[in-house]
Amino acid sequence: MNQTNEPQSQIRKKSRAWTAWFIIVAGSGLLALLMAFSITKGAAEIPLFSVWDALFHFDEKNTQHLIVVDLRLPRVIASALVGAAFAVAGAIMQGTTRNPMADSGLMGLNAGAGFALSICFAFFPDLVYMQIILFSFLGAAFGAALVGGIASLRRGGATPMRLVLAGAAVSALLAALSQGVALYFGVAQDMMFWTAGGVAGSNWEQIRIMVPWILGALLGAIVLARSVSLLSLGEDVAKGLGLNTTVGNVLCFLIVLILAGASVSVVGVVGFVGLIIPHLARYFVGVDYRWVIPSSAVLGALLMVLADLGARTLNPPFETPIGALIGLVGVPFFLYLVHKQRMAL
Amino acid sequence: MMNQLQKNETYKRKIALRNTAIVVGCAVLLVLSFIISMNTGYTKLPPSDTLRTLFGGGTARENLILFDFRLPRIVVSILVGAGLALSGCIIQGITKNALADPGLLGINAGAGLMIILYVLFFGAHSFLSVFTLPFLALFGAGITAGIIYALAFKKGEGIAPLRLILTGVAVQAGLSSLTTVLVVKLADTQFDFVATWQAGSIWASNWKFVLALLPWLLLLIPYVLSKSRVLDVLNLGDDVAHSLGATVERERRGLLAASVALAASCVAVSGSISFVGLIAPHLARQLVGPRHRILLPICALTGAVLVSAADTIARVVAQPAGIPTGIMVAIIGAPYFLYLLAKSRY
Amino acid sequence: MMNLNSIATENLAVAYEDNLVVNGLNMQIPQGKITAIIGPNGCGKSTVLKTVGRILKPKNGMVYLNGDDIRRFTTKEVAQKMAILPQSPQAPAGLTVGELVAYGRFPYQRGLDKLKPEDNKIIAWALEVTKLTELETTAVDNLSGGQRQRVWIAMALAQQTDLILLDEPTTYLDLSYQLEVLELLYRLNREQGCTIVMVLHDLNLAARFADYMVAIRCGDIICHGAPEEIMTTKVLRETFRIDAKIITEPRTGRPTCISYDLIKENEPRPYMKEGAK
Repeated sequence: MNQTNEPQSQIRKKSRAWTAWFIIVAGSGLLALLMAFSITKGAAEIPLFSVWDALFHFDEKNTQHLIVVDLRLPRVIASALVGAAFAVAGAIMQGTTRNPMADSGLMGLNAGAGFALSICFAFFPDLVYMQIILFSFLGAAFGAALVGGIASLRRGGATPMRLVLAGAAVSALLAALSQGVALYFGVAQDMMFWTAGGVAGSNWEQIRIMVPWILGALLGAIVLARSVSLLSLGEDVAKGLGLNTTVGNVLCFLIVLILAGASVSVVGVVGFVGLIIPHLARYFVGVDYRWVIPSSAVLGALLMVLADLGARTLNPPFETPIGALIGLVGVPFFLYLVHKQRMAL
Repeated sequence: MMNQLQKNETYKRKIALRNTAIVVGCAVLLVLSFIISMNTGYTKLPPSDTLRTLFGGGTARENLILFDFRLPRIVVSILVGAGLALSGCIIQGITKNALADPGLLGINAGAGLMIILYVLFFGAHSFLSVFTLPFLALFGAGITAGIIYALAFKKGEGIAPLRLILTGVAVQAGLSSLTTVLVVKLADTQFDFVATWQAGSIWASNWKFVLALLPWLLLLIPYVLSKSRVLDVLNLGDDVAHSLGATVERERRGLLAASVALAASCVAVSGSISFVGLIAPHLARQLVGPRHRILLPICALTGAVLVSAADTIARVVAQPAGIPTGIMVAIIGAPYFLYLLAKSRY
Repeated sequence: MMNLNSIATENLAVAYEDNLVVNGLNMQIPQGKITAIIGPNGCGKSTVLKTVGRILKPKNGMVYLNGDDIRRFTTKEVAQKMAILPQSPQAPAGLTVGELVAYGRFPYQRGLDKLKPEDNKIIAWALEVTKLTELETTAVDNLSGGQRQRVWIAMALAQQTDLILLDEPTTYLDLSYQLEVLELLYRLNREQGCTIVMVLHDLNLAARFADYMVAIRCGDIICHGAPEEIMTTKVLRETFRIDAKIITEPRTGRPTCISYDLIKENEPRPYMKEGAK
């Protein structure tokens, strides 16, 4: 029998909080280590102390230092940020739509961003990265609006099945259009990179521009986490508890847009991160989004950095598309979810 | 009372007449599409010349264009359209889900993956006999269908529509990922072939493709048509079907196999084309109702018209190479599917 | 000696995903009568019906149809002897009444058969008996709940079976439609000689229309017999855990439960009138 005076729920809440903190702190530490490890691997093996040297005593004439700072560091940082971004975007989507299958890939955001990018390449090939990223946002918004709008058109609103179907159809449509545009205007080769997905081409210019957006959005997500928790109980309940649901939904949508749009513009079309990680996070820390969102960020970053490592090292000197690697891991997990119907919100 | 009986009889006769009219109408549309298709293309051939060439009076060049390029391509698009439409109709009937389609469910992806694996291990497509393509595709598609079926099936519940769609979408995404990973390893010529296939292109069609596809269709279509009543009865629900004496599980498996085989053989020849299996049955159902005896033939005709029209447009839109038909079908098909979804009862 | 039982089960055991729902059931359904199966929800009524109807496979035990082991028959043969109407059947959109009833001829058709003149005669008869002749070309979706249920019964009739099983044919129907359906089944039994077996939710309707009742709780038969034997305080207490008050309804002469209470001793019940028991 329970000898302590605390009710069970309080104990569970405390242990969740501890787990969450553990994940966030230990995860971040693991992330730093992994990033460092990742920098040492690749077509050329670079020992750890060289990496340290490169970071703190940068020597322009040292090729190894150049590789570290110009090629690998931006990549690894981009992976971490993008992983966190996708994961948090997915967490927010799953929370606000109350749909455990929500994910920026399945909901058409990625395909939308990809479509916008194809238009970019075809019609405005000389755009600066700053403008490209804006295009990406617009595209993601377009895709999401299409999917959400169509899924909610009927009485009953956006049920999981309709969201998935609308998402699949819109993604297929926008993908076909992107391909069509790319083939017609002869930019297919340039687009190959985006369609396959990968951080290989990341450079400091991109990072400089993308970092503020993503970090800002992540911060915003953490601030909005409580609202997301409330929204995950349902619109009516949230309203009853005093939340302004319209404002909440709009803000959440904007944040998801920024996160997904920025990420796609860097890494191309990569789905499933936003699907898997939130489930994993919820498994460990429960359904309070104040814990889920930061945990998702850390776990997402870990996954992406790992995947990028794999993309680089599996088939040297060629890149294995990162989207495909994550798909390979993500799909069996997703199927397992579907089969077991373990769909905790 | 007599009046009502008479009214009923007239109504039934009207419906029968309407159905015949629809069959004729669809056939006419198909012929029209055929004619238009024959007269469009990179080289402008005036209709009179086309007619002349058809009846043997053409120059060598005209013969080449018509008989070696256009005609086989048109025939392939018609056959593929019919096959894919039937495949979709059956899957919708079996899963009782009006929003199912072999492409969305990953069957195309499975066929494609097998083809890519073959290309990867056994070399460029010049060695790939057109006739082995359907078998490969069938093998890949069959395994995929089996996986989806096994995962979506739960003892006692059968296949719930939501689970089926989710499993299908996931398997499709997973196979696409796997395919992407493998595609990177291909050499250039192989890559072209695979990329073309993935987009759903009827580019390289010639009479060999027609010959490769025809036996499959000649085998499967009569089988499927003979199962019209079974499909009707399955549509009433498993329990009622059981009550009426249908061996539900066995029939369902047989029909699923036929559907997968149809989709795979078509896709082997034409590349990955989605949405036909989705739209054509819907259109057909709007026209003639749910009874498969008339639904299946109309469905096939609708699919044929759809794909051949899309192919014609695809050829014309971007001279000289045209864009892959699969893309065109997706561009036409997806919006219509979304419209259906917006209107649907789900 | 002629077997007077349409259906008999012997030691029947049925499991749902490893849960033994029915165990050791011995039931006899008399021929030519209306039998109503009653019992609390989730305790095996539908399961028993479905197993007898060969929709579910039993884990153990035997089912006899007209005295023969039901497993000896092919699915089509069973369909010619027994029709089952599941709960809430769904018809595809756009189907007319005539078309749905025509499906009842499925067990008698092979391959690409069209409907023969005899088939059409049987369909017309089924429509007449269920009073649906005028509605033959109406879409099933446009009918009322009661009418729709009649169409499904007409389809079962077109199957030309002596035995019809129905799983909760009146649940979700309006009061008037419930009577409509039950009176149709009553007529079918008295005029055409069909054996009717139905799972019913409503005790009083069961008692009013059935010749024979079976009370099942948790996969066991509590009691079986004429309505007068089932509709007793004792049997209903064991089956439903209620304290029932039974009277004989003056118009039909059948037992009816006019009120019931939860089984609780010595608790004050403020809503009861003074002096009531």
